[in-house]
Amino acid sequence: MTLELVDFQILAAALFCLGLYGVLARKSAVMVLMAVELMLNAVNINLVAFAAFRDVSSIVTGQVIVIFVITVAAAEVGLALAVIMRLFRRRGTVNVDEIDLMKG
Amino acid sequence: MGIEEAWLIPTYGFIAFGVIALLGRYFPSQGKHLSIIAIVAAFVTFWFVLFDFVGQGVAEYHLPRVWFSAGDISVGSGMIVDSLTIVMLALVTFVAALVQIYSLGYMRHSHKGHVADDPRIGWYFAVHSLFTAAMLTLVLADNLLLLYLAWELVGLCSYLLIGFWWERKSAVNASKKAFIATRVGDVGLLIGILILVTETGTFDIISIIHAVEAGDVSEGKATLAAFMIFLGAMGKSAQFPLHVWLPDAMEGPTPVSALIHAATMVTAGVFLVARLLPIYEVAESAQMFVAVIGIITALMGATLALVVTDLKRVLAYSTMSHLGFMMLTLGASGFTAAGFHLLMHGLSKAMLFLSAGSIMHSMHDETDITKMGGLRHRMPITGAAFTIGALSLSGIAPLAAFWSKDEMLLAIQDGLNPAFLVLFLIAVVLSALYMARATYLVFFGPLKPENRDVHESPAVMSVPLAILAVLSVFAGFIALPLGGGFEGIGQFLFHGEHGHDFEFQPGWTIVSIVLATGGFALGIWLYKSSRSSVDSLRTQLGPVHKLLINRYYMDTLYQWFVDRVVLALGRAVALFDRTVVNDRGINGSGLTVVEAGKRLRGHVTGLFADYGLAMGAGVTAIAVYVWLRTA
Repeated sequence: MTLELVDFQILAAALFCLGLYGVLARKSAVMVLMAVELMLNAVNINLVAFAAFRDVSSIVTGQVIVIFVITVAAAEVGLALAVIMRLFRRRGTVNVDEIDLMKG
Repeated sequence: MGIEEAWLIPTYGFIAFGVIALLGRYFPSQGKHLSIIAIVAAFVTFWFVLFDFVGQGVAEYHLPRVWFSAGDISVGSGMIVDSLTIVMLALVTFVAALVQIYSLGYMRHSHKGHVADDPRIGWYFAVHSLFTAAMLTLVLADNLLLLYLAWELVGLCSYLLIGFWWERKSAVNASKKAFIATRVGDVGLLIGILILVTETGTFDIISIIHAVEAGDVSEGKATLAAFMIFLGAMGKSAQFPLHVWLPDAMEGPTPVSALIHAATMVTAGVFLVARLLPIYEVAESAQMFVAVIGIITALMGATLALVVTDLKRVLAYSTMSHLGFMMLTLGASGFTAAGFHLLMHGLSKAMLFLSAGSIMHSMHDETDITKMGGLRHRMPITGAAFTIGALSLSGIAPLAAFWSKDEMLLAIQDGLNPAFLVLFLIAVVLSALYMARATYLVFFGPLKPENRDVHESPAVMSVPLAILAVLSVFAGFIALPLGGGFEGIGQFLFHGEHGHDFEFQPGWTIVSIVLATGGFALGIWLYKSSRSSVDSLRTQLGPVHKLLINRYYMDTLYQWFVDRVVLALGRAVALFDRTVVNDRGINGSGLTVVEAGKRLRGHVTGLFADYGLAMGAGVTAIAVYVWLRTA
């Protein structure tokens, strides 16, 4: 059985939906952050899959962008974890349901 | 210096006003002498203008000057110098100069033994200067906008001067009354001006008159404009039914009354109608309206002057009556006669007011004529001046106003229905009657014991009186050709193609002399014989007397109108403002936003999962939409 482009897309979509579910449903801010990483990686899969299935395989734009995304994601995780730590020190919790200062 | 420098005449006064109002305190006596210098300079300049005008022999000298222009409309600040302007300039500068000199004495009050200037003497003279300057601008203006500006400035100054002693409540009320009553007319004037300007596209008076005469303005529009402009003249010249402010304006210092009545304020309305007389001649119904209002005012003023006991108010009603004569004469197209009477009346009336002021000055502001009597023994100059003024305005030959009254009589006979002539003659008799009454009660008869220490006024006051008295005797002779190229006022002051000589119709002159002298003699006889004859007359004419004492109930009517109509309307509008505009409009829009916010705040949970869900749903929705569009 040969893997087609659509198989990768289905995988990416499933992964993205898992990530989205995690973002919306998890209570812990750390778990939400991990779910965001899942969504990012779903996009990465899409990008490399499209790049690999292109006719002109010598152009590696897709792969390069993926490396960018991973780099930025690493920086983002660092920043976000620092924010979560400050949050925990201040409020004693990382439960996002309890953080509703912006409530109207 | 010649006619081109005519603009200097009002300029002196404006400068004097600015200097006294801003820097007066650095001058001795708060700078009051600057005002005198300015008006005397204006009077001297006037003579240069007069000689140049006569020397050049032109009927109408127009000096255009553009003030500003916007699009097709250009507004000038130029001048017209014609015979009407010359007459007005002569009257205003001369009377104002004498009144200001007289004020030097009048505005010094004796207070607890020592005599001192009024504390606000500088402001008094500053506004005097502005008043005169505004009036001079008004008579020189070559366009309606400048005229209107000066017109309003005159109104403002009258307000300031009538309410000069604002510590007195009655003075404040009188000044407000004068301002409001004249404003009612001024609205009409503004509308009239705007009609003429929209119809002709120019503010220039000469162009407007040409356009109206050529029929470029429809007769209906011209009539409407003439009516509206006459409203303004009615307010300023105290014509029925806007006359109510004039008697109350006596609250101001007496020299101010003299100025208002002779030179600067009430003559503005007559001047305006005279200036625009060609428009009234096209708009015949408006001209007839002018005549009707004129005769009503003349009779009303004359009858009211018969019963009031306040000396200044007698003179005020007399002014009203004479302004009515002038309007009536203009209604008969008697341009020369009206202008002539304006001048003669101005001289005599200024003198009468200054005499009244002289009496008040030495009688501690007493104005009730029933408390006077026999004052001629104590105040010979004032007495002689007042008597001459009274005889002149009664139309006794050969004093000043006799000549002009005769001219008016002939103009009315020529131009109007005989009914007007009959009413005019009745008013003439009444004029003589009330003048005789006032003169007799004040100056003749026995001197009352409490008035023993009354004394003649200082020279600074009695000399202007004497000058005016001499003029009131002789000024009338300018009706006749006096030689030296002067062909009489009828050749000098005319409107239309040709001047005319002084008309002398022996029949009418005899009628006029008999009526005037008879009226005066009747007045003297009534008051001399015994008080009982007057009292019995008063009881016999009970209802009429009551009507007159209550000033034809005009003030009552206005009070009722204000209370019941104006204030009721005001309350209704205020209610509308509070409930609809404020509660629904201003507060309503704010409350709507607040209420909408309350309803909408529910979706802002502060939980980012909710926002994330909304965002995801949104993106999905857009994706589905795009997919459906492309599929």
